[in-house]
Amino acid sequence: MNICSNQKTVEMEIRTKLKFDAIVIGGGIAGGEAALNLANNGYKVAIIEKELSIGGKMILLSKVFPTLDCSACITTPKVSEISRHPGITIFTETEVEHIEKRGEHDFSAYVKRRPRYVIAEDCTGCQLCEKACPVITKDQFQFNLIGRKAAFIPFSIASPKVAAIDMENCTLCGACEKVCPSNCIDFTQEDRFYEIEARSAIIATGFKLYDPANLPRYGAGLYKNVLTSMQMERQLAPTRPFNTILRPGDGKVPDKIAYVLCAGSRDDSAGNPICSQICCMYSIKQAQLLMGALPMADITIYYIDIRAFGKGYDEFYEQAKGMGVKFIKGKIGKISELENGSLTLRYEDIQSGRIKEAEHDLVVLSVGALANKETPLLFKGLRPDVDKQDFILQGDPVLSPARTTIDGIFVAGTASGPKDIPDSILSAGSAAAEALSYLTM
Amino acid sequence: MDKKLGVYICACGGNISDYVDIEKVKEAIKDEDCVLLARTTMFACGDSNQKDMEADIKENNLSGIVVASCSPKLHLTTFRSVSERAGLNKYNYVHANIREQASWAHSDNKQGATEKAIHLVKAAIAKARFAKSLEPTRIKSQKSVAVIGAGVAGIKASIALSNMGDTVYLIEREGEIGGKLASLGKIFPGNVKGGDMVERLNAEVKNDEKITLLTNTKIKECSGNIGDFKIKLQETKSGESSPDSEKEINVGSILVATGFESYNPNVGEYGYKEIDNVITLPEFRELLKNGKEGKNLIFKNRKVSDIAFIYCVGSRQVKGENKYCSRYCCSAAMQSSLDIKEQFSDIQVYHFTKGVRTYGAQELKYAEASRSGDIFIQFPDKEEPVVYSEKGQTLVKVKDILSSKKEVEAAVDLVVLVTGMVPDSDKSVGSLLKLPRGRDNFFNEIHMKLRPVETVIDGITIAGTCQGPKGVMESVNSALSAAVKTHSFVSKGELELSPIVAYTDANTCEWCGACSEACPYNAISKNDIGGKTVAVINKTTCKGCGMCLPVCESDSIELTSFTNKEIESMIEILAN
Repeated sequence: MNICSNQKTVEMEIRTKLKFDAIVIGGGIAGGEAALNLANNGYKVAIIEKELSIGGKMILLSKVFPTLDCSACITTPKVSEISRHPGITIFTETEVEHIEKRGEHDFSAYVKRRPRYVIAEDCTGCQLCEKACPVITKDQFQFNLIGRKAAFIPFSIASPKVAAIDMENCTLCGACEKVCPSNCIDFTQEDRFYEIEARSAIIATGFKLYDPANLPRYGAGLYKNVLTSMQMERQLAPTRPFNTILRPGDGKVPDKIAYVLCAGSRDDSAGNPICSQICCMYSIKQAQLLMGALPMADITIYYIDIRAFGKGYDEFYEQAKGMGVKFIKGKIGKISELENGSLTLRYEDIQSGRIKEAEHDLVVLSVGALANKETPLLFKGLRPDVDKQDFILQGDPVLSPARTTIDGIFVAGTASGPKDIPDSILSAGSAAAEALSYLTM
Repeated sequence: MDKKLGVYICACGGNISDYVDIEKVKEAIKDEDCVLLARTTMFACGDSNQKDMEADIKENNLSGIVVASCSPKLHLTTFRSVSERAGLNKYNYVHANIREQASWAHSDNKQGATEKAIHLVKAAIAKARFAKSLEPTRIKSQKSVAVIGAGVAGIKASIALSNMGDTVYLIEREGEIGGKLASLGKIFPGNVKGGDMVERLNAEVKNDEKITLLTNTKIKECSGNIGDFKIKLQETKSGESSPDSEKEINVGSILVATGFESYNPNVGEYGYKEIDNVITLPEFRELLKNGKEGKNLIFKNRKVSDIAFIYCVGSRQVKGENKYCSRYCCSAAMQSSLDIKEQFSDIQVYHFTKGVRTYGAQELKYAEASRSGDIFIQFPDKEEPVVYSEKGQTLVKVKDILSSKKEVEAAVDLVVLVTGMVPDSDKSVGSLLKLPRGRDNFFNEIHMKLRPVETVIDGITIAGTCQGPKGVMESVNSALSAAVKTHSFVSKGELELSPIVAYTDANTCEWCGACSEACPYNAISKNDIGGKTVAVINKTTCKGCGMCLPVCESDSIELTSFTNKEIESMIEILAN
């Protein structure tokens, strides 16, 4: 069986028309919060999410600074509230083909919902298909630290918690179909097309993690024991892949861990001159969690400046120092791999003014936040402007931060620039307030 | 007893199950009286488990639910909603906290943590046996809002509320609106000056029919509750007040935006008020406005050629009380330096920092200042710069981290202390509204991420810098978030209040007044019932805090959902 929707002609395409008060592009924490604020005030909202689950990056985090709340514990109820809200319709595994402003209070979005090859309404999330599937591929939700099956539930707290078949890797062996107790595997599913008419639009497409492959001097992807901060985040999360902290090269429990801050931030040569605003704090948080998980381990954070600026953040930084996390002011110049898989970090120690080298058995690159460059391209005709870093430009940045350069299109969360979770949530509230005003106009 | 209970024990993805043996807990409680089913779950709050719980309630016709998980602060309402969706009155739900109170508190003793968890769950089951269905108290809500403080946060919130259709009273103690915004120069990220913004906002407020602006006005009293607050206001022209300048307003919700104060350095702190060319950043902003003579900046009749900015004054204090970072000051200093450069090309600026925190795109301002020739010196956390005067010169001496702790000295014409934010010194609004403060003394939100603009007082939200230091853009975001929340309190015109309140037994009550004195919400009054003087509790004002219960000598007060029977049954289990 070959499923190939682009062979279909446009004429044959059936496009379902739907009407909403607002369309929210992106179902991360900012998009979800904005949608909830609108729906709680009686408006009908569509959330378009390109992944299999809503919850964005936050749902994948371990604990969050500075309170060390377990991220899953505060995201899951939010996600649950969003998915149950009678005023909110969620489209997962769905992409915006294009969206157009036809006039005031008149937006039209063409969206395509990719097939899950599972009848979502009937799936109970029993995971028998996952057990039966013989194909193993990389698990993108564990940031490739471990594998998953081609028939799989994205992650245990996904919403919806419904299986999906990864058709790129599926061999169509039919094993899942045979074991599924509710007969919900359906290989005949095809792309579904919708035209969503809405009276306002909110951009909540979030950010992209900096790809450390652009920094060959740090050896990400080349040296097995150089991880990204998101991979470490997964190792520390409640739904972690290994149930302990391991270095991927040889499965050894590390005891000398280094954090390299500003990996792809504050660095013109890396193509990103701005500060990503979250990396200092998440690194300090991970360091604290690591001290709990591996009490004997040495943890060193190499930094340029520590930007602990939010409520309770500087106190959190002081707490890490008190716990014994080492802070060394100096930017890492180069990382090289030793025969035993450990790594040598070459850096300028600012305090002594000397070039030094240090050996660590695991290195975490604290990668920064970049703009999703595709976001403005979704717009046909009038297109919101972007800033120099390709983030959505704020139309009236100080007094109406959620406005874009186009009336009726608002921006929530990190789509307009790096933000931590509290700031993302406040910016989502701000976008909802602007949208409410626009809708009542 | 004929209750049919379902009990769920949450692993919290390891947060609980790493220390508490949840299977053992399940085994220990599954045969307790009334327990029909007991299950363990990875995440009780997860969407799929919520669905399973709903199905369990419906299929087994359960009449009570217990979830043993995290603090009820996080998930009490989550599981009450699950009960409600399954058609079970939500007050039949009982929460047991085995995370904060067992697994996290006793991570060094797994066996002990498990035993404690078993006790806590059994106690919750005991309470659930007596739990009763309750109906919320429905009240009408005023469709008006009071916004306290007309700085940028209060103004923006008022305009947003008005746009959403609410009637707004914007209350300002000063004669003018705009707060501190008016004194600011260009504000990141943009090129508009604070004063120009205030002009624009002023016009918007004055043209808005739904906003009643009350300047020179202070809050004198506040009573009532969400949906129905009564606020007594007093006009305070030139410090005088007379009874006829009093006014009462009736609102459904209150949005507090009382702002911050700039830290006021002590005499002698970095030479402040002892050396005459040491000033604070706000004072310097004034100088920038008024001190230009020709091509020169003139301070006290002398041309200024070299300026030192000393950062973190009143913030991140090693000795003082303010441990927090004020977050806006690095950028404000950077902007001030760029403003200097724009007007006076030959002024040299030195920045004495504790590490520059120009987060996000503010970094570009830092880069611009560096490129323009500013000199950055970083002093160690605990070795602050010394400002002193010698032979008519003002000097700043410091150990510089950036040149391996060499001692550096700069002779300057002006020292600018980059002062941080501190809470407003007028504490009257906070204490009248009973708003709790955090360890930094700013008002505290309920939860930084889940409920960032709400306070523990229902119907009162907080916005802007009264919650903690913020830049202007961040203040506006928080103001608009608070406006949406406040709007949702009043927009429907009707509210449901918690039925968990105290009530008195008129038969046994012998009015003594002790309960009324103990009540922090003025909810208890002296009433005559059938010729007998007794205490009566107003169920819309009562918050169910329970303060009145222990002071009642005749034991005539009960608290719904926490009745003596329920509490005693729990104690019996816990004491065993």
